[in-house]
Amino acid sequence: MSPVPPPSRSPAAGHRGAASGAAVATFGLGKRYGRTRALEDLDLVVPRGQVFGYLGPNGAGKTTTIRLLLGLHRPTAGRAELFGLDAWGEPVAAHERVAYVSGEPALWPSLTAAETLEFLARVRGGTDHAYRELLIERFQLQADKRVRALSKGNRQKVQLIAAFATRAELLILDEPTAGLDPLMEVAFRETVIEAKEREQTVFLSSHILSEVEALCDRVGILRSGRLVDEGTLAELRHLSARTLEVSFAGDPPRLDGVPGVSVVERDGQRLRLEVSGVLSPLMSALAEHPVETLTSREPSLEEIFLHHYRERGAVGVETEDGAAGVPAPGA
Amino acid sequence: MSGAALLALVRRTFADARGRNIGFALLFALVAYAQPAAYRSDYPTLRDRLGFVHAFAGNASLRLFYGRPVDLLSVGGYSAWRVGGILAIFAAVWGMLAAARALRAEEDSGRTEILAAGPVSRARLFAASVCGCLGGVLVLWVALLAGLLAGGLPAGGSAYLALATVVPALVFLALGALACQLGSSRRVALELTGAALVVALLLRVVADTTTSLGWLRWLTPLGWSEELRAFAGPQAWVIALPAVVSLACLLGAARLWLGRDVGRGLIGAREVAPVRLSGLSSPTALALREERWSLGGWLLGSGSFAFIIGLISTSISSAGISSSLRRQLKALGGASITKPAGYIGLSFLFFVLAFSLFACSQVAAARHEEAQERLDVILALPVSRARWLVGRLGLAVGGLLALSLAAGLLAWVGADVQHAGISLATMIEAGLNCAPVAILFLSFAALAYALVPRASTAVAFSVVSVTFVWQLLSSIVGAPSWLRELSPFEHVGLVPAQPLKGGAAAAMLGLAVLVGAAAVWVFTRRDLVGA
Repeated sequence: MSPVPPPSRSPAAGHRGAASGAAVATFGLGKRYGRTRALEDLDLVVPRGQVFGYLGPNGAGKTTTIRLLLGLHRPTAGRAELFGLDAWGEPVAAHERVAYVSGEPALWPSLTAAETLEFLARVRGGTDHAYRELLIERFQLQADKRVRALSKGNRQKVQLIAAFATRAELLILDEPTAGLDPLMEVAFRETVIEAKEREQTVFLSSHILSEVEALCDRVGILRSGRLVDEGTLAELRHLSARTLEVSFAGDPPRLDGVPGVSVVERDGQRLRLEVSGVLSPLMSALAEHPVETLTSREPSLEEIFLHHYRERGAVGVETEDGAAGVPAPGA
Repeated sequence: MSGAALLALVRRTFADARGRNIGFALLFALVAYAQPAAYRSDYPTLRDRLGFVHAFAGNASLRLFYGRPVDLLSVGGYSAWRVGGILAIFAAVWGMLAAARALRAEEDSGRTEILAAGPVSRARLFAASVCGCLGGVLVLWVALLAGLLAGGLPAGGSAYLALATVVPALVFLALGALACQLGSSRRVALELTGAALVVALLLRVVADTTTSLGWLRWLTPLGWSEELRAFAGPQAWVIALPAVVSLACLLGAARLWLGRDVGRGLIGAREVAPVRLSGLSSPTALALREERWSLGGWLLGSGSFAFIIGLISTSISSAGISSSLRRQLKALGGASITKPAGYIGLSFLFFVLAFSLFACSQVAAARHEEAQERLDVILALPVSRARWLVGRLGLAVGGLLALSLAAGLLAWVGADVQHAGISLATMIEAGLNCAPVAILFLSFAALAYALVPRASTAVAFSVVSVTFVWQLLSSIVGAPSWLRELSPFEHVGLVPAQPLKGGAAAAMLGLAVLVGAAAVWVFTRRDLVGA
């Protein structure tokens, strides 16, 4: 197994440097709605050309972050920049380089899908019409249908096609696959990979851990308005507990006192353990016992995610629409 | 399902409409109080009243908005004419809005689907919504009764007049319920019921102003209100007409509701349509595309009324108008209404009110765009907030100018047919004279939208209504002149009878620009706010 690099938490001093010229950079970004703290002290850098996964349960502050990035809401602390442009102060210049897919596919019910695409393309400019045709084909969009007659998933496709067809430098996607069927999820992944090949930056807020695992270069995990973890998947795995399954020739030993080890499951002669940090204390302890088999695997993103929410007794913050967030991993 | 659950649904509908109910109830109570009080103070003696009646005996003109008077010698009879005549129209508007909200907006939002998926029968859902609305009718009735009693009218007659006045609310609630089954969205339902209301009002206007066509009154719910004849030889049996029609419409609506798909209408909104590329080039162009039917409806409605005003402007009684009436009209800001120009000038005050309400509706449409989170999509494009809002306001100003011009032009056509001898240029000026007040209210509505987005629609409509009622009330209650002059309506010259008050119009437009600029400034500094 290759050694993993140390975690790269952005220290305050290095943050500025890393942020210069980045697609997305936030500096102590915070937002309160009345007494509710929706987002606190967010320092985030998404370099150009990366696919960044933004994870968190309902009400953790993902949509709030996106609204701040787009200048739709005004920060109560810190600031956000897109390509060095202030998100609140210079939204029009910033949006020339951005395409956005909202989580709620809010479109004009009386327009057809084709008319909606045309409107968004004309107002934004820079749409690649040939690529748009390809995407309409790929997502199997019935373009002559009125938006009011489209299902949620189909309305979501309209937004996705409009956004990807712009070939914007930065795509901000807020839970874009929430209403899509598995076939369309495949089409979505294919499209994100194409965007990545064209060196577009993607900011992907999502619940779907497998999607983030498959697409993202880096991941940020948000909990109760705070960024609790950020890095590449390899870095996150390193920081989290790995799972070991050990079977013994006789009764399994008690391993309660071993540093960094917790017993998750005890089943006859088998133990399932979670180990954080280095393995050597466990290895020393096991050496005295008749170990028959030992398997070790890296934690999945889901396990990392659950780890962050269970261990710290996560409670979601309230969003401005009043929905109390509850941890809902693996949705 | 238990009775308690049914009651909860009724309450939900009732509570959902509280803003509208409170607004209308206040308006109704104030007007109901003011009319008898005003009559007593303006016509204290029988001689005054006889003079007033004499002046109105053959005078069709004021019946346009107030309906047909039956007995003008008693305080009750006068109040029945002035309260019932105008508030019956407002009651119809209330019924139309109540039905569209309770029976269609809820369905458009998907909430009805959630309820219908629960252990609630469809029939009960419908019944609960209708009962919640009927609670609102009761509120209006109580408000009217309270106002009339406070105005010193006897209890029995007041209760009957209040009933006669809310009859259109009931009928248009029922018609609205039917329209909600036919149309596939709140908007379509409102357009259908609104068209019915315009027809009903036109029928009443024609019936009241043309003696030979008086029978047309029996064809319109607004006419039934008149034929109930409160304080003037009541014909209580007439109540059977609205009762039967309302019941039939409600039963018909219930039947259609039980047989149709939730979330859709019976008039199939086409699901598939060929691409039309007009009106897609900018957010403002799209707003115009979305508002075109509404604007067309306003143009048609106000244009037809302007034409009728022009037509009947020459049919004013040759009998001299009493000094007391003249006083009262002076208090309204009136000139001599014995001449066509005077009559048109006075009637056009109502266009000032109507166009101010149109201005509010345009800001309400902008707010709807934000509440539905479509504005998020627009502002995530390279479109500045200022550009979007200025575009929306510009569109509203354009609509107001179109409405004003159409009113002036069509009133001229009507007057010219009757050889009233008013020039086209003067009538165009009269039309445009309606715009400054409406533009001023537009800017206030925009400021409300920027400051308190969720409440803005209610605030905007209330400001216009309260100001107009204040205009009616302030002279009656003897308010000091500076308080009266706070109302923009006070500063409208009654063109063509009076010269255009250029200074006042310029001042209002200047103020509108300032307030509008403040609205844009505030809007560029706040968070977008969802529903």
